[in-house]
Amino acid sequence: MKRSRSLKLAFMGASALALTACDQPQDIAIFESVEQCSQQDGFDSDSCQRNMDLAREEHISVAPKYSAIEDCEADFGAASCEVAPVQTQSGGSVFMPLMMGYMMGNMLSGNSRVATQPLYRSKDDPSNFRTADNQKVAGKTGLSTVPGKVAKAPTVKTSTLSRGGFGASAPSLRSFGG
Amino acid sequence: MERISIEERDDWRAQAEEVGFDFHTFDGEPYWDETACYRFSLAQIENDIEDPSEEIENLCFEVVDRAINDSEVMARLAIPETFWDYIRNSWLNREKNLYGRLDFSYDGKGPAKLLEYNADTPTALYESAVFQWLWLEQAMEREIIPAGCDQFNSLHEALVDAFKAADIEGPFHLASCQGSPEDEGTVRYLEECARQAGLNTKFLYIEDIGISPEGHFTDLDDMGIATLFKLYPWEWIMSDEFGKSVPESGLRFIEPGWKAILSNKGLMPLLWEMFEGHPNLLPSFFEDDPRISRLGDLSMVPGLAAGYVKKPLFSREGSNVQIIRPGQRPVSVEGPYGREGAIIQALHPLPIFEGNHTVIGSWLIASKPCGIGIREDNSPITKDSSRFLPHVIY
Repeated sequence: MKRSRSLKLAFMGASALALTACDQPQDIAIFESVEQCSQQDGFDSDSCQRNMDLAREEHISVAPKYSAIEDCEADFGAASCEVAPVQTQSGGSVFMPLMMGYMMGNMLSGNSRVATQPLYRSKDDPSNFRTADNQKVAGKTGLSTVPGKVAKAPTVKTSTLSRGGFGASAPSLRSFGG
Repeated sequence: MERISIEERDDWRAQAEEVGFDFHTFDGEPYWDETACYRFSLAQIENDIEDPSEEIENLCFEVVDRAINDSEVMARLAIPETFWDYIRNSWLNREKNLYGRLDFSYDGKGPAKLLEYNADTPTALYESAVFQWLWLEQAMEREIIPAGCDQFNSLHEALVDAFKAADIEGPFHLASCQGSPEDEGTVRYLEECARQAGLNTKFLYIEDIGISPEGHFTDLDDMGIATLFKLYPWEWIMSDEFGKSVPESGLRFIEPGWKAILSNKGLMPLLWEMFEGHPNLLPSFFEDDPRISRLGDLSMVPGLAAGYVKKPLFSREGSNVQIIRPGQRPVSVEGPYGREGAIIQALHPLPIFEGNHTVIGSWLIASKPCGIGIREDNSPITKDSSRFLPHVIY
């Protein structure tokens, strides 16, 4: 047979089905420092340090980036931003919020589904820790339980300097495919 | 190969609209046309279309191999020099391709002749993969065609498999231009295939793509775009304002940069130069090739005596194509293309079935032939308004 055996009827422009699999609550822990982590029952200082290092590394790539410090402070508050160790294409500075803490799995429940990552506090909701994807985590340090989607690895978020740089070459035709 | 007039399914328009295939009629003229179908033998499909398609794809890879190391070839293809290294690396890194469509002139006898390769932004995919398949199943069920018919069309399965094998991590972005329902339909269908392969997808318009301070491309949520399917030709990407940021952006494009070599009409003279006399190729030359320009009269060129076709390097949907036959007025289609030069290809007129000029589009998914789509036009040049007809193997 030279044709598809079956064809789950493919719709054009079908609306997105939200994939909610794996969104089970996860046990996590939040700390502002390695010392604070080491004092938590069942957490050893080696693991605390290793996870802090991981979160610091992630911080550089996943923290929201801004080309003006004013824009960063508008989102995260005065004196809450730092210069990122990257540059714009034209050599200008890039800014990102300070890392205010980190999230890791709860070592007591042996939870491996939690992606260790940096946490931030935004200007409009300073009492809560938030992920780089702007998901609310918790208002206190120590152990918590959060929805699965909050504990997943953050996407690399950036900021946009300009849009519309693609598309200018298209003549106005019904279709230019072919 | 024959054209058979058949009964339409009385409810096909309603079905088309239900699945979002809403460009089935254009300016009151049918685009999807099931008042007839084309019948092929299995041998015609396998020996005359499928095998040559695979073989030509391999010849094309030899052209890419040559072009990336030959600045003269890259210049003849009008590819900006700033992209030569980028395109070269995309090939050397074996960046994966998804799809393409080879267009053949074929009448059921003799070798199919390659007219061009839509290697970068082919459309008419949904109607080939899905609506044609659905027609076959229902036409057999309703006894419009005999039971036991087959169709050269495993496109949908091949697309889903290709996405599974594409090594795409994180969200997969897909983009088309605003204001073209047909192109958006093609991209929405590919998005559906990617979802069926388990990918997490995000659609946006080409015009909405942004750039971050570090030179990464972004979507409307300011998320970095890691992998982008774009129904937008490479030559336009390269000439757009954001084009200069492409080589350093780290973005993986589907189709990859090396497809810029194959989607160019200059592929045809390059193939002829390297594989002259191949049964599926037509004599083709760059317009400014001294071998033909110094003759003055193109009908003196071997292979062009019966007429020739002039096509701009970047023409699409038949625009700016001109057919010249000795002693006849040229036939041409107006359009916006042609500044970058043109090619001359020996005329191999499309076969005529009951007054219709018929072209066969042979689909390659991840470089494997896996289906065809047939277009008919009242004129010898296939355009975006040409009708799409289904086919059977019987």
